[in-house]
Amino acid sequence: MSLEEQQPEAEIEAGKTRGDELAELLGDLVIGREEHLNAPGLVIRPDQVQDALFKLRDEAGFDHLSCVTAEEYEDRYESIYHLTKYDDRTDEVSVVVPTSKDDPVSQSAEPVFRTADWHEREAYDLVGIKYEGHPDLRRILLPETWQGHPLGLDYDQDRPQIATLREHANPLEQDHTGEQGNTMYINIGPHHPATHGVLHVETVVDGEQVVDLEPDIGYLHRCEEQMCQQGTYRHQIMPYPDRWDYISAGLLNEWAYARTAEDLADIEVPEYAQIIRTMSAELCRIASHMIALGTFALDVYGDFTAIFMYAMRDREIVQNILEDLTGQRMMFNYFRLGGVVWDLPEPREEFFEKIRDFLDDLPEALEEYHDMITSNEILQARTVGTGVLPPEVAKSYGATGPVARGSGIDYDLRRDDSYGYYDELDWDVVVEDGCDNFSRLLVRMREVEESAKIIQQCVDLLEDWPEDERNIQANVPRTLKPEEDTEIYRAVEGAKGELGIYIRADGTDKPGRFKIRSPCFSNLQTLPEMSEGEYIPDMIASLGSLDIVLGEVDR
Amino acid sequence: MSATLQTTLPDTISGLLGLEGVLGDLVGGLVGAFIIANIMLITTAIAGPWAKRKITAAFGDRIAVNRIGPFGLLVIIPDAVRLMSKELIVPEGVDRPAWDLAPMVIPFSALLGFAVIPMGSGIQLADPETGLAFAFAAASIASLGLVMSGYASNNKFSLIGALRAVAANIAYEIPLVITAASVVIFTGSLRMSEIVAVQAEPLLTIAGVSIPTWFAFVNPFAFVLFIIANLAEVGRNPFDIPEAPTEIVAGYQTEYSSIYFVLIYLGEFIHIFLGGAIAATLFLGGPAGPFLPGFVWFVIKIWAFFLFTQWARSAVPRLRVDQFLEVGWKGMLVLSFANLVLTAIIVGVIA
Repeated sequence: MSLEEQQPEAEIEAGKTRGDELAELLGDLVIGREEHLNAPGLVIRPDQVQDALFKLRDEAGFDHLSCVTAEEYEDRYESIYHLTKYDDRTDEVSVVVPTSKDDPVSQSAEPVFRTADWHEREAYDLVGIKYEGHPDLRRILLPETWQGHPLGLDYDQDRPQIATLREHANPLEQDHTGEQGNTMYINIGPHHPATHGVLHVETVVDGEQVVDLEPDIGYLHRCEEQMCQQGTYRHQIMPYPDRWDYISAGLLNEWAYARTAEDLADIEVPEYAQIIRTMSAELCRIASHMIALGTFALDVYGDFTAIFMYAMRDREIVQNILEDLTGQRMMFNYFRLGGVVWDLPEPREEFFEKIRDFLDDLPEALEEYHDMITSNEILQARTVGTGVLPPEVAKSYGATGPVARGSGIDYDLRRDDSYGYYDELDWDVVVEDGCDNFSRLLVRMREVEESAKIIQQCVDLLEDWPEDERNIQANVPRTLKPEEDTEIYRAVEGAKGELGIYIRADGTDKPGRFKIRSPCFSNLQTLPEMSEGEYIPDMIASLGSLDIVLGEVDR
Repeated sequence: MSATLQTTLPDTISGLLGLEGVLGDLVGGLVGAFIIANIMLITTAIAGPWAKRKITAAFGDRIAVNRIGPFGLLVIIPDAVRLMSKELIVPEGVDRPAWDLAPMVIPFSALLGFAVIPMGSGIQLADPETGLAFAFAAASIASLGLVMSGYASNNKFSLIGALRAVAANIAYEIPLVITAASVVIFTGSLRMSEIVAVQAEPLLTIAGVSIPTWFAFVNPFAFVLFIIANLAEVGRNPFDIPEAPTEIVAGYQTEYSSIYFVLIYLGEFIHIFLGGAIAATLFLGGPAGPFLPGFVWFVIKIWAFFLFTQWARSAVPRLRVDQFLEVGWKGMLVLSFANLVLTAIIVGVIA
């Protein structure tokens, strides 16, 4: 079920013409052409980035800047803007912007896509490309005082770094320096009961209302990209994705890497393994949405809510099933390139029975949640109409997953850029038009039902699968060495949204550049849009409804 | 009516000790206060480290403390030792006298309120003419403690919490007192023992069982209003705005640790019980009840109120601060005045 098989016309045939078409559209702006595995690449001069992107956005309809990848070559720096469409995910284009070694300055894409703000800050931080016209080009993951750019070629790892406490000095002093005089600066986080990890939200409040806020991230940065660049394709990278979105969404993350690397190395995954993958990934999605539900209830209700425990109780059942399957509760490491590591646990009947029991009890549990949460008037008063994220804003920030679907954007990679076994199964993409905290909550609750539907069908298929055709892994060479300079950007629908991975092969058995597009990273960027002018409690609720995991934001 | 009044606890004690005059008043008062305070402290000790955990755990499908003693009850002792032996961290720049006094003002004010509460079986410290007004006045001193703690802590979350606490107290104290006033219209007296005595009269008799004139039966609307306002006063869901852990960390008590934290927490719990005690006295016939001694009924009633607060906290979402104040000013205030006026008219017409 590789991609080539699914969309022969759309991808291969259109691939050439699509590149030509777009090159024609941009005319003189294009100074060269590249071919990435997922999309045509157009090379653009660094001072014409905005012109090119405006044209692609307004005239060709590329309204989704999925990711910005920056990397350093021996002779140049390069920023790649991975563009695609919310309406047609398979229509992709990579805008490649090379800059010179001695003066790596490139025009910022921020005026075209708001999401480029953080992505370019990250590129500046880790690789060292400067973006002209960027509103606020500061480091984002590393401390302000960091010396050097860790993913640059001449970075000295042994250089001692000093991160002073000065920038985190007591912010009391900054209070009344503002011209308004009435505002107060508070640090919400990094140690705060409701920031879902080590997130630091620098908030300026006027009374209780948020005037200005800025999420400060990077407390959990672990150089995941660099670690992946140091592992071999075949086995050494797969354990890392579990640690990005570690709130039980591990298999979804593993699938992102598996899909990218399989397409890169042209590996076919057996159908049987795809069904197992689909089933286990959806189990992860349920577990992950349960946590999102429970913690959102915590944020809105207060500390001692029963709903959190109920959500944990139901998630625990899923965790037990996943433990039976993978041998692990959180850090699964279950997928392999070309399939999964082992077959379903024996006795199979017992395992299926366990899943069926869970699925049978699920509607009742969901009914209970609806009784306690969504039909509660106080909760509705708290969440309906707060944290509003209009669809255009969501698109401009590259919001995906339940956050986008809660804003009425009908976008789900499982359907729009289908992989695994999803297109063979009967399920629906859940969309809510409310654009507020309540609809994001509803989307997650309804998605649990859809996931249950998918799992049900997978279980039926697996149960009837002939014994001698249970092929869990394709034949994959012991050492994978994709051709030099093959580039690919592929994404899957993670629990939080579009989880993409860019890999550039450099001819060895390790990736030359490994870039992770984290859905939480883009989703978190929308927080100021949702919260400014609202009360602190609503800001906390919005943050909860975004369902971020700092492990994935910071990577 | 005054013939039915019971002698107060200090008089009983001085009578037992055979002391008279100023000395008798002094010793009786001190011993009586000591006894009442200890009753409340023991109640709180059970409620805080044990009952609260057990109740919220029951709501959340958990087990909670069950290792030491029957039902884990003896966990109170190690918990008390643990809490008190923690380091008392004094943050930089706190306003020292105010910061130190606040944790004492909060429980003290709540305990003071119990001085006029008739607990049944002759346990009542004092029974002044203005008993009810005294109870409310004493309970309100807590607001002062909250402001002191919030303002002196040199922490913005504390400050916001204190401001919220003051806003809550102003918004909900008025409906609380106004609703209580509607009861006073019936009784014609602020004296606690008289309020209880009035409620002992039978309201009606059904099949040989006479139902007393508890104001919760006479005016259920006022009772509901009072309980809701009370919930806001003690700061429990859906009104736990001043603390709101997920929003402003812990509000006014953010910077308190060790014994100061214990004192503030203690104060909060005694306030819950005081709220329950006032509600019981005004609406549930005080310590009255069939078969069991009065004191037991009193304990049952205040624990019922405590259970109610814990239930609300486990199951009801928290309002946003502006919605909270809106409910207070636009809803509760109007309703409580309507209740007062209606009661006055009805009582006037009947009388």
